[in-house]
Amino acid sequence: MENLLEVHDIHTFIGPFHILQGVTVTVPKGSITALLGRNGAGKTTTLKSVLGITPPCQGQVIFDGQEIQGRRTFEISALGIGFVPDYRAIFRDLSVAENLQIAERRKGDLNRNAEMIFGLFPDLKRLIGLRGNQLSGGQQQMLAIARALVADNKLLLIDEPTEGLAPVLIEQLMKAILQLSAETTVLLVEQNFMVASQLAKQYVIIEEGRSVKSGAMADLVHDQETIHRYLGAA
Amino acid sequence: MTGAMQNLRKNRTLIITMAILVAVFLIAIQGMSTSDWVITVLRGLSVGAVTFLVASGFSLIFGLMDVLNLAHGTLFMIGAYVGWTAYVRPDSVVDMTTPLALLAAGLVLMPLWDMLLGRLSLSPRLTRFWPWVVVLLALVILALAVPRFPITAWDTAAYDKSPVIYGVQLDQGILTLPEPLKASGAALIISIIGALLGGALLALGLTGFAHRHKTARAAAVPLPWKALVASLVLIIVGLGVYLINDPLTERLINLDTTWRFFLAVVIATLAGVALGGLMEVALIRPLYARPIYQLMLTLGLGVIGREAVIALWGRTQITMPKPALFNAAGKGCPANSLADWLTNRCSTISFLGSRVRTYNELFIILMGIVVLVAVWLLLQRTRLGMVIRAGVQDREMVEALGINVRQVFTLVFALGVGLAALGGVLAGPSMGVSDDMGESLLLLALIALAIGGLTSFPGAAAGSVLVGLLQQFMVKYGQIGISLPFLATPFKPTPPLIPASTVLLMVIILLVMPHGLFGRKE
Repeated sequence: MENLLEVHDIHTFIGPFHILQGVTVTVPKGSITALLGRNGAGKTTTLKSVLGITPPCQGQVIFDGQEIQGRRTFEISALGIGFVPDYRAIFRDLSVAENLQIAERRKGDLNRNAEMIFGLFPDLKRLIGLRGNQLSGGQQQMLAIARALVADNKLLLIDEPTEGLAPVLIEQLMKAILQLSAETTVLLVEQNFMVASQLAKQYVIIEEGRSVKSGAMADLVHDQETIHRYLGAA
Repeated sequence: MTGAMQNLRKNRTLIITMAILVAVFLIAIQGMSTSDWVITVLRGLSVGAVTFLVASGFSLIFGLMDVLNLAHGTLFMIGAYVGWTAYVRPDSVVDMTTPLALLAAGLVLMPLWDMLLGRLSLSPRLTRFWPWVVVLLALVILALAVPRFPITAWDTAAYDKSPVIYGVQLDQGILTLPEPLKASGAALIISIIGALLGGALLALGLTGFAHRHKTARAAAVPLPWKALVASLVLIIVGLGVYLINDPLTERLINLDTTWRFFLAVVIATLAGVALGGLMEVALIRPLYARPIYQLMLTLGLGVIGREAVIALWGRTQITMPKPALFNAAGKGCPANSLADWLTNRCSTISFLGSRVRTYNELFIILMGIVVLVAVWLLLQRTRLGMVIRAGVQDREMVEALGINVRQVFTLVFALGVGLAALGGVLAGPSMGVSDDMGESLLLLALIALAIGGLTSFPGAAAGSVLVGLLQQFMVKYGQIGISLPFLATPFKPTPPLIPASTVLLMVIILLVMPHGLFGRKE
């Protein structure tokens, strides 16, 4: 299987803090890879380092065969990476339609992908005229993922999509992520191990800024010792 | 229906505050004759319109990139001086076009240098050192080359050749320009090459500063064709203007002052846009990570700009005559209708029993409304506006969507400074052109923004209008006095109370609504 994204031993500082101290992640094309680990382990920073929001000072990031570390965020993103941050980052002064339009990289992106997006999230169609700040948490999360689907992205970085959502919504969201992973590749950060284990094919565990273990999710599910050691009670 | 009720409840403080303001306004105009309050309201709106031009640019820049541009008042003033020059001394502007276009032709090469430097890897010590040398060299070359261009200008030291005199001469219709200077042969070639080389080296040095913190990147960047084409066009424009210098000056000087004024407005606005863009790229951009330094920088630039203006145009206030369309008196004036005014080009017009000045009270208010609508449409109806509104909230996410936020920053900075320059040139004929005109206006704009909400566009408009109205009503009451129930004689606010009243309004509104009328909690 070909790897869409390869992160080799990156180190990242935020201010004076050495947050990532050697993270290696490989994301095979066409499936979901989960980044696991405790709070503050460096999962979000890993995503941001890939995008160049917190650029790594050492190591390599290879996306689709190109080295991308050191480039500016908008250039990296324009190569075909969609980002769904943990805080959702819905533009509250923009309407739902504008929140989608702004993600267009070429004219007509939204029209072309509208059917797929509203197929995954039928609720959004009804909300299209509302402003970002009028949406509920679950609706915002759906909009954030939909926004990442407007341009034809090859890779989606999704950070904690189920955080703070009701169980019914989580199920709905999981279904949507599974559906879209049929067409794109996903690197998913997820605290909820139940969710991660059902969605992802591969996993990488990050502990105190280092990637410590990776492999097939099917093996991890039976490895109670690893789960307890790195992820706490699951 | 419930939605409307909810909206009302959510904005109840705003609605109550507005109701109180309207009530105070209605009480204030009670004791006045109709002609008095009509003229005062119009004057207030006029001051509000000029304030709005400064405040809206300031708030756009602050909202999107968190830069408090304390030089904004100075840029407003520079707009007025540039406009004055294009209006009163078009010959000087034509003369200056050549060196400026050649200099700009060098400066727009920055993307080219960026590409070339990206391929180069030098030792860190050298990287730290060489941009300074190049910038110094560029400045020396420019200092030697640019003054050699034949620029027919004024002389601030000699009274009969000073800007003051030219302003008065134009007003009286007896403007006589000095003999144009000429240059030829080697001197000309040297100055042309010097301007080009100086501009290109300055661009190289500035790009070098930006590259100090960048690592050489492996990816090949395509040749920046756009920059090369822009540079070539500027060279052609510069040399072309030099060749048709005399006929062009002739045409401009014979132009009706109304048309020349509109041309001056366009030139001043474009100068503001260019100055703003240059300022962002060269000076503000390296300091986004250090807000305090940025504050000091804009404060210092404001002072430097003011001193530069004094050095170039002199310390005395100069007059900018009103264009012919707004200047006639005598037969058929004051005009009785708008059509009347357009045929007789009156300086005043009768409206509800008062004599309204067509420039100060009609044209400026109209321009304020035009800019308000234009910027509103830009923000609400264009992609750039959408990106700005999104960027005000979350720059990181906008960039993560693949949008070059830095480019948007430059555009918005240029736009904001352009608005200030537009305000300056429009205020010239009504306020007079002086080196301290920016300072007081920046203060007024800041108060207006605090009242309206710092980063809110409708807030900037509402705050500016409130501040303008309050100021002009205080001025009027200073003349006619307010009869208060517990005072025997009418109370006349003294001049120091006028600025104090706007600050007082700000304090009261901020106590009730800490984020201003249209601001939002962060």
